[in-house]
Amino acid sequence: MTLCQLFLQPDAAYACISELGELGIVQFRDLNPNVNSFQRKFVNEVRRCEEMERKLRFLETEIKKDELPIYDPEDNPDAPKPREMIDLEATFEKLDHELKEINTNADALLRNFNELTELKHNLQMTQGFFDEAQAHPVGVLEDMAGEREIELGGQTTATAGMKLGFITGVIPRERMVTFERMLWRVCRGNVFVKQADIPDLIEDPLTGEKVHKTVFVVFFQGEQLKNRVQKICEGFRANIYPCPENPHERRELAMGVMTRLDDLTVVLSQTQDHRQRVLAATSRNLRTWQIKVKKIKAIYHTMNMFNNDVARKCFIAECWAPVSELDRIQLALRKGSEASGGGTVSSVLNRMITREQPPTHHKLNKFTQGFQNLVDAYGVATYREINPMPFVLITFPFLFAVMFGDAGHGLIVSVFALWMVIKERSLKDKWRTQEVWTIFFGGRYIILLMGLFSIYTGLIYNDVFSKSLNIFGSSWRVKFGDEILNRRDIDTVQLEPTPYNYSGTREYQQMYSGTPYPFGLDPIWQVSENKITFTNSVKMKFAIIIGIIQMGFGVFLSLWNHLHFNHRYAIYLEFLPQIIFLACIFFYLIILIFYKWTHFDGLVSTQAPSLLIQLINMILLSYPTEPESSRTFYSGQRGVQTALIIFAVICIPWMLLGKPIYRIIMNKRRANYSTVTNHTENAEHEIDEQTHENESTKKVEMSEVWVEQGIHTIEYFLGCISHTASYLRLWALSLAHAQLSEVLWQMVLHIGLSTNGYAGSILTFLVFMPWSCLTVFILLLMEGLSAFLHALRLHWVEFQSKFYKGEGYPFIPFSFRLLLDEVPIEG
Amino acid sequence: MKDDLFFNLDHGYAEGLCRGFKSGILKASDYHNLVQCETLEDLRLHLQSTDYGNFLANEASPLTVNVIDDRLREKLVQEFQHLRNVSYQPLSTFLDYITYAYMIDNIVLLITGTLHQRAIGDLLPRCHPLGSFEQLGAITVADTPAQLYTAVLVDTPLAPYFIDCISEHDLDELNVEIIRSTLYKAYLEDFYNFCKTLGGITAEVMCEILAFEADRRAFMITINSFDTGLTQDERAKLYPTCGHLNPDGLQELRRTDSYDGVRDVAARYPQYKVLFEGSGTNTGDKTIEDKFFEYEVKLNMNAFLRQFHFGIFYAYLKLKEQENRNIIWIAECIAQKHRTRIDNYIPIF
Repeated sequence: MTLCQLFLQPDAAYACISELGELGIVQFRDLNPNVNSFQRKFVNEVRRCEEMERKLRFLETEIKKDELPIYDPEDNPDAPKPREMIDLEATFEKLDHELKEINTNADALLRNFNELTELKHNLQMTQGFFDEAQAHPVGVLEDMAGEREIELGGQTTATAGMKLGFITGVIPRERMVTFERMLWRVCRGNVFVKQADIPDLIEDPLTGEKVHKTVFVVFFQGEQLKNRVQKICEGFRANIYPCPENPHERRELAMGVMTRLDDLTVVLSQTQDHRQRVLAATSRNLRTWQIKVKKIKAIYHTMNMFNNDVARKCFIAECWAPVSELDRIQLALRKGSEASGGGTVSSVLNRMITREQPPTHHKLNKFTQGFQNLVDAYGVATYREINPMPFVLITFPFLFAVMFGDAGHGLIVSVFALWMVIKERSLKDKWRTQEVWTIFFGGRYIILLMGLFSIYTGLIYNDVFSKSLNIFGSSWRVKFGDEILNRRDIDTVQLEPTPYNYSGTREYQQMYSGTPYPFGLDPIWQVSENKITFTNSVKMKFAIIIGIIQMGFGVFLSLWNHLHFNHRYAIYLEFLPQIIFLACIFFYLIILIFYKWTHFDGLVSTQAPSLLIQLINMILLSYPTEPESSRTFYSGQRGVQTALIIFAVICIPWMLLGKPIYRIIMNKRRANYSTVTNHTENAEHEIDEQTHENESTKKVEMSEVWVEQGIHTIEYFLGCISHTASYLRLWALSLAHAQLSEVLWQMVLHIGLSTNGYAGSILTFLVFMPWSCLTVFILLLMEGLSAFLHALRLHWVEFQSKFYKGEGYPFIPFSFRLLLDEVPIEG
Repeated sequence: MKDDLFFNLDHGYAEGLCRGFKSGILKASDYHNLVQCETLEDLRLHLQSTDYGNFLANEASPLTVNVIDDRLREKLVQEFQHLRNVSYQPLSTFLDYITYAYMIDNIVLLITGTLHQRAIGDLLPRCHPLGSFEQLGAITVADTPAQLYTAVLVDTPLAPYFIDCISEHDLDELNVEIIRSTLYKAYLEDFYNFCKTLGGITAEVMCEILAFEADRRAFMITINSFDTGLTQDERAKLYPTCGHLNPDGLQELRRTDSYDGVRDVAARYPQYKVLFEGSGTNTGDKTIEDKFFEYEVKLNMNAFLRQFHFGIFYAYLKLKEQENRNIIWIAECIAQKHRTRIDNYIPIF
């Protein structure tokens, strides 16, 4: 990783940045952080891009409204040249304009159409009213509150000697009630309202929603009332339609309306077709255009970060780039310069020396990405620090599997992960907004490995849905006679563990073949009473062994770090005491474990000393001979252990004092040196200054160094003990998982399987559902999550604390690919 | 105590929402940036980086102040409606009470509009959407307050407030103002009592705010009524009586007939004394109205310092309105290239 300075010709800058964006391997630094976003140089271009995006969004909503498919482009279009931008703008402008025109036309037509439909319904309904009134004039009269001399219809009014006016219109149905009440109030009851619901839904011209509407006819008397009614109609935004009083005219009008409606339908469908054509043409290019505009915008955004050197007529950009990619960057710059019309001076790339910490960049592929994310979630590696990812790649799924050891469950998990991996391409863009899914999908390779490792550990534990497989045939035989097995007072019998008749007794019967089960746990344990006691002992010891080895490995990785950063003193003052302490106490413990496993067989196992008590006695330096379990493993154990303890204790002050004292000595020596050089050599003045700077940054308070080293020391030595204990979670979770799945089997599926006859088959059928559901939700999801989190913790805290600082910041290259992969924000 | 215990059960979600909305209110640094904008496009660009996000993104250039105003109001109304929809009794009644003020404004707007012979179709879109009700459009039917009452307002929640101003006089300009003031008086007192019955912290916070509102109205009515032919008694009838000025201060206000008189009355109340002292009529000075706005903002901000009460909803709405006024002010200043007074907005944070 190196800091580079780019000198770009103003003409060539755009093309160069576009090439770099395609490459996606440089991270630009903002050189004018103090400048407001709208005071930057290319703000106008960015704004034009936003305008284009707005138009594209408009087009997209229009296309979606018509439910046309939007085609994704197969190839990745290049960022267009600045000249093309104007063309694009013109194209969008034209389309935008065209579409808007179509829309306004269609709107006007539609409104016309709606009005006519309303009028049609209006006429139909009113016709109905009048017909009714004609048919039963008396009935209506009675309806209308009696003695008022009001009659209906154009013809009848003449006979009554009074002119009765009416207004017809259409109003949204939900407003009808208040409308009626208002009419009644304002006109003091001197109106008669008749209404009928329109059966069809009518589109609202403003919102485009379909609404229910109602036709009404208001009858009233006199001019004043007419004004009022009209005002109310206006206020309620009811559409008033003229309705001739003469039934003949009404019929004619209705006919006219019908023909006009027919005409309009034709015109409407034509506009719709036209619109469809325009949109279909647009939809083919829409995505390409969107990508293009996005790229242009990104380029100008980047160029906004550059320094503009007016005197030399060029842009100055600063960027971080991987050293190994410099050639490609040069090439891209050259290509960019050529593409922009062969500027006289090509762009220059200049490596800069800087004291700033560069960003951390890991080369990743889709397989390692997930694991790197796990590591980065704790902290991005300090620049050039050793990256634990390659080790986590294996240890993480392994530790997970130790806790999740069940081949059946592992199989389900790996099948699920395998599906995700195989269908990767098609699943990639599905459910992108579903957060849970993206988490699972992002970690598909982790899950796959976790599943495969679980199958492996499950076979070692010989657990498949809490049952054992007897593949190779158990090494044990039960050779008790019926007289023993049938005795009432005996619940359990103990199998003879020794393969040979050592003691020469007559009742000895060989029950153990002498060769252990070839792979994993002997299935005989499945039926034994003391299975848990046995597996606990084994798993606990394994947890400790795995843990100590992993921690030791972590300490060795820190050696790597020291070598890389050339911290020679740290090897002697940090690494050595750490590894010696670990070796003296904990590696020794592992040796004891193996010693105990190999040196005590069935014959003498009852007299085997206890490891725990041995360890405590070792620390306390006491060697009692009384109970049997605290006797020594081997002769001379006392001397060896005392020596180990002394070594371990020496490590503590060694680490605590070593580094600070080294610092003090170095400071003194450097001070002497610099004064000497100052006196003698003026030529080295500059270098000297640099070292001064060096010192000033390094010259921290000594007290701080002491405190820091104190904390560091305490953390490490106490940590060794607590972390070792912490690895016992491997055993605890594995126990919990095994027990839980066994309980589930016993309590649920066992009910079905233990019932005889047809009832049994039905019961099994019924019980299988809850059993499988609980298996998936509790054992796979919940237990899996908890094992995952514990494995994560073991890596973050127990493993990485030995060597990993994680104080870096990530390398975020300017890349079109990343830009386009972002999920579009809905809104 | 019991109310506090169960407050979150019913209103916790709404309160959380409201506090979340509140944290989107523009900060001093945002205003600082807004004031620097050269054009409305810059303003849009900057607002994009705030909580407003893309609310202007789909507007075609060139942008006008009216469009910004509409969008701002739309956003506020949307947020308030959302709060109203998720609210639960008695919070929903409380929120309804808030909208009554907008109803009064709308009614007055329509009546004055019709008096000036404006078409109802032009007027309706200008009404505040929070204060619209179904019968609103039909207001033009009425010629006298009595008709207004019987025809339109009877069904609305404003009916009880209107009882006092039923008369057969024709509606005219002065009349309308009196109707507005009477309605407001009745509304404020009713709202005040409602908050009192709610009790607890809501009462403490809201009564303080509403008392200030009442006093402000009393002051403004007095100041605006000089030389209008409104008699002292008529004026006194319009004073809301739920403020700190009641009863002595209101009596004094009734008798004054000059700006200095009002200032003397205010001098007896420490909180108003400061406001009147800080204001002036010279150019460059802040007007008393601005001072009142500032004090209101302060009160509303204080409402957010307490937990488990409804005051924050009222305060949020008022603060947001103030913010909208500020943005519009700045936008107007930018649009009219009148930058000298651009700093006259009222800072919230």
